[in-house]
Order: sequence, then C-alpha cells, then structure tokens
Amino acid sequence: MVLKNIFPGIKAVWRSLDISGKVSAIILILLIILAVFAPFFSWLPHERSSGPPLSPPGMPHLLGTDELGVDIWAMICFGARISLAVGLGTALLAGLGGGIIGMFAAFKGGWVDRFFMRLIDIMIALPNLPMMIVLAAFWGPSLINIIVVLALFSWSIPARIVRSGALSLKEQPYIKMASHYGAGSFYLITRHFIPELLPIVMVSMIRLAGKAIVAEASLAFLGLGDPTSRSWGLIINHAVNFKGIYFTDFWKWWLLYPWMFLTLLVTSLALLGKNLERIADPRMEKLAKWS
Amino acid sequence: MDILRGKKRSSSIFRVVEYFLTFLVIISLNFALPRMMPGEPFLHYSGEVDELVAFYSKEQIQYYHEYYGLDRPLHEQYFSYLKDLAEGDLGFSYYYKENVRTIILRRLPWTMFLVISAMGLSIIAGIILGSYSAWHRGKWQDSVLYTALVVFSEIPAFLVGLALLIWLGAGLGLFPLAGAATHFANYDSIWDKIADMLHHAALPVLTLTLSRTGGIYLLVRNSLGTVLAKDYMLTARAKGLKELRIRYVYALRNALMPLCTRIAIQLGALIGGAILAENVFSYPGIGVLMRSAVVVRDYPLIQGIFLVLAVGVMVANMLADLAYKYIDPRTRPAVIGSREMEEF
Repeated sequence: MVLKNIFPGIKAVWRSLDISGKVSAIILILLIILAVFAPFFSWLPHERSSGPPLSPPGMPHLLGTDELGVDIWAMICFGARISLAVGLGTALLAGLGGGIIGMFAAFKGGWVDRFFMRLIDIMIALPNLPMMIVLAAFWGPSLINIIVVLALFSWSIPARIVRSGALSLKEQPYIKMASHYGAGSFYLITRHFIPELLPIVMVSMIRLAGKAIVAEASLAFLGLGDPTSRSWGLIINHAVNFKGIYFTDFWKWWLLYPWMFLTLLVTSLALLGKNLERIADPRMEKLAKWS
Repeated sequence: MDILRGKKRSSSIFRVVEYFLTFLVIISLNFALPRMMPGEPFLHYSGEVDELVAFYSKEQIQYYHEYYGLDRPLHEQYFSYLKDLAEGDLGFSYYYKENVRTIILRRLPWTMFLVISAMGLSIIAGIILGSYSAWHRGKWQDSVLYTALVVFSEIPAFLVGLALLIWLGAGLGLFPLAGAATHFANYDSIWDKIADMLHHAALPVLTLTLSRTGGIYLLVRNSLGTVLAKDYMLTARAKGLKELRIRYVYALRNALMPLCTRIAIQLGALIGGAILAENVFSYPGIGVLMRSAVVVRDYPLIQGIFLVLAVGVMVANMLADLAYKYIDPRTRPAVIGSREMEEF
C-alpha cells in the first residue's frame, strides 16, 4: 500500500521542491553514486601510497596527494562511503528506535509516557559534542561505536514526532471507529499509524542523517574518528595537523577538496530536509526549530 | 520544547525535580563511563598516529585504580565519588601534574570569552537581520537573506572556521593563525595587550557568530511575523503612533520574548561549536584542553571537563526558565491559558 504509491509520490515531491531543494537532491544523488561505485571512479588505491607525496593536482593524481603520497581523489571517493554509512546507519537506528519508543509512549500513556518524555528532556539538556567526545574516548573510536553513540543522541527527535503524531491520530474519528469495530492495537498501528506517520519520520531521518554526518566529521576532525577508516573529516584532520600547512601551497588541494565535498554534502542534506519538512507538514518547520 | 511535550508548562517544583534528575544523570554517567570500559581500562590506547602516545607508568595506573576505587564495592565507589564532587575535588591529572580543577579554571575564561562574545554578537546580528527580513516580508530582500542565512546556519562551525582561517588568516594574512596572544610579546600599554588579544580572538568569535546567527535570525523573523499580524498592531497604527514606536516598542519587544529560552537551548550547541572552533584556531580554551586530554587518555581531566560543561549548560537552561517566567507575564499562574505561547 505504501510501496504502490512510491513512484507517483516521488514525482509529486520533486515538483514541489524549490530550486535549492532540486539542486540539493541532484548533488546528493551524485554523491551516493560516487560512494556506491567508488572503485569505478578512482583508479588509484586509497589506502596506500601511489606516487610522490604532496604532489599538486594533475595527472594521474586528479586532486593531488597527501603527505604519504596517497591519492586524494581516491580517498574522497571511499570517504563518501563512510559519511553515507554513518548517516544511513544513525538515521535508521535512531528513526526505528525513536519511532518505536514514541509509538509505545503514545499508546501506553500514563507513567510510561511521562518517563520517556522526561528522558527526552534530559537527553536534550546534555551538551551533545562533549558527551560524544567522552563516549568516544572511553569506548574507543570504531565506526560502529560512533554510529551507536550518534543514534543514542538522536532518537529523541523521531520519538517526539511519532508520539505527538500518534496522539493526535488517536483522536481522529476514523481511528475511533475502527477501534469500535474491534481493531486491535497491532492492526491499528500497522494499518493506520505507520502509513500515516512514515513520511514525517522519514523526513526527520534525513535531518538526522545530516546531523550524524556532521558529528562524525567533527569527531574525526578532532582526531577521535575511527583511525582505520579514512573519512573526509579524518583527511581534514591529517591536513590541519601537518606542521606549517598554511605556509605552503599544500592546503590548496589537501584541505580544500575534502572541505568542499563535506560542505556540499552537509548543506545539500540540510536544504533538502528543510524542503521536505515544508512539504510533509507545514507545522514541522516550527517543531524542528526546537530540536 | 513545550509545544512538543504536550499541554501545559509544568509547575516550578516539577522543573526543579527535572533539573535535579538531569544533574544526577550527568554525575552517574560520569561515574559509570570509566567502569564500563572494556578490558583493563588503563592499558587501552588508540592506534592513532600522533605526536603524543598514551603511556602509563606503574604509579599512574596505581593512582587511577585508587582514584576510581576499583577494588571496592560499587556503591561505596559511588558515594565516595559524590563526596569528592561535593568537596569540589575533580581528581588529579597525571599528564599536567596538577589538580583537574586548577587546570580547568585556568582554561575556562578563554572559552567563556569566546562563547559569550559570540552569543552577544549573534543575538545582535540575528535581531537586526531578522527584523529587517520580517519588515520586508515577501520582497526580494527577505528571500535573499533567508536563503543565505539558512545555508550558513547549516554549515558546521568547524568548516566555516577552516574557510575563514584559510582565507583571512593564511591567504590575506589579516589575522594570526593560532593562539590567544602573541608569544613573548612586550606590550607598551594595557591597550596594546587587549588589542592583541582581540586580534587573536576575532576569527574564532566570527566563526561561532556566523554559525549561530541563522538560528536566532529565523526565530526573530518568524516570531515578529506572528506579532505583526496581531490586532494590537492595527490598534497602534490606528492611534497614529510613530513608525519607530510601533516597530520597536510594540512589535519587537513582544517578538523577542521567546528568544530567551531559545538562547539557553542553543548554548549546548554553541559550546560544541566552541570546542571545534578552538581546535581550528588552536585557541587555548577548554576545547583544546579536552582534545589533548583525550589524546593522552587523561581520564580524570576528560571527565572533569565534561562535568563542568554539562552542569554549565544545565544551569543556563535553568536560569533561562526562571528568566522567562519573570519576563513573560503569560507564564504566571492564574492566566486563562497558555495558548498564546504555543504559537512560538
């Protein structure tokens, strides 16, 4: 029932995007293609040296090399995978977990609801980045840990959205009617609540993915990322920590290109998210402001 | 926050209990973290290639075991931890060979300077731009400003900082690349010293201001838009009041009320931004300290910094709550309802 409507749905969404939304969507699709088919786009290895160190952009090093002679274009291609994995993983984990918690809180009500609402308030009051730094420092900086930590800090947004959506749906006449005809909670949730709430949860997941990518890049920039996976943040970290980089020309490729790709990805995710929020629910813009 | 939580704004006692709970969660987290670490905690270090590699001497490991009291039962550890905290004892940093509290207190003023000046500047810029936009609603000035600020507010602070560092610092050479003051400088007067410090702080403050202005701008723009549509604005015009009076006394003052809580909620993000900006510009505040503490695995120091930051943000939120109650007559009891607030 949801799947059947996907193609006309995408068409309708595309038509209601404004210019910034359309450009962002195209950039995102290009970056996803780059990540998925990374080996086809980069002809040089991304993990070991393949030429002289610190050579400027040219052939065969499209975007130059770093201090060990590793090709920067190859690192950017494969780094896109890490950013996308972090964004997707966190959004799925937090969206699913937060969605379930929000639905549970809305259906149970009473002290369960109050407990989760207080918990969400506490999560919001904690400063995220310092908390993430502490967790990454104590648990060790593996990619899985980073995704789990990010999800722990983002489930509250989909949870609140689902909860408030479910609460207002519960008051709708058709839901009450179905319930009087003997529909159980499970039937109501799968047949009415999930199809109704899925679009706004997905939109909030796009926003979460953007935030997660920023957070991963920030941690990597501080040197707290997974040292075995070269994300864009980690390339920037290595470049910035290279002694005297600002007195040389090296930053013109080593720092600039990963910076450009990261900025492009983050901005287009955010702009697309803002656009979709406006389309999915005009009220959402107000809600999202407080997160 | 309240519109999402549900119906009414909770009573003061409830808020106090909530803040107490948050405080307890922060402390308990801080207590639990080193004890949840996998394996022997103090033999753990990262494979990251860096100039500083964590190395623990025997006496250091012994100190950590003693400090965390790992050989005693858990509840005893917890209470002795609470007792230490109550006495203001945050432990001893082996790397810096000093008390954690002393180190943090020395670094804190730098960070606070950055955070407070960025906050002040972004509030001023946000209000000016936001009200400009609201008064030009629907015209091209508004849509240009809106797009530009939304894009800017979405780019994370450290990317903005890097761009400024490369462009204004390295490219044009207008600003120093690192530090908070010139090393070994002899100043002719106190003013020279202040000018030097401001010169060093300019880029980090500008970075944080740029990334924070967007949020405040959006809030002012929306909230002023709502206020401008109210009946009392029409009344004010009908009374023939001067345009300036209508704009600043009638509209802006009412529109700025939600700003108060908004700023406190943003403080957490602002501190996160400050940590990153400090690391971009090697500014010697808490953020740089935290990073180097992580690199050398100085656990008491990491925890001390986290505690100070978390409690600081919490206290700011609490103050904002109180201030909001004081400023906005609508949140006082015995008013018919708080429907007005829900519009923000």
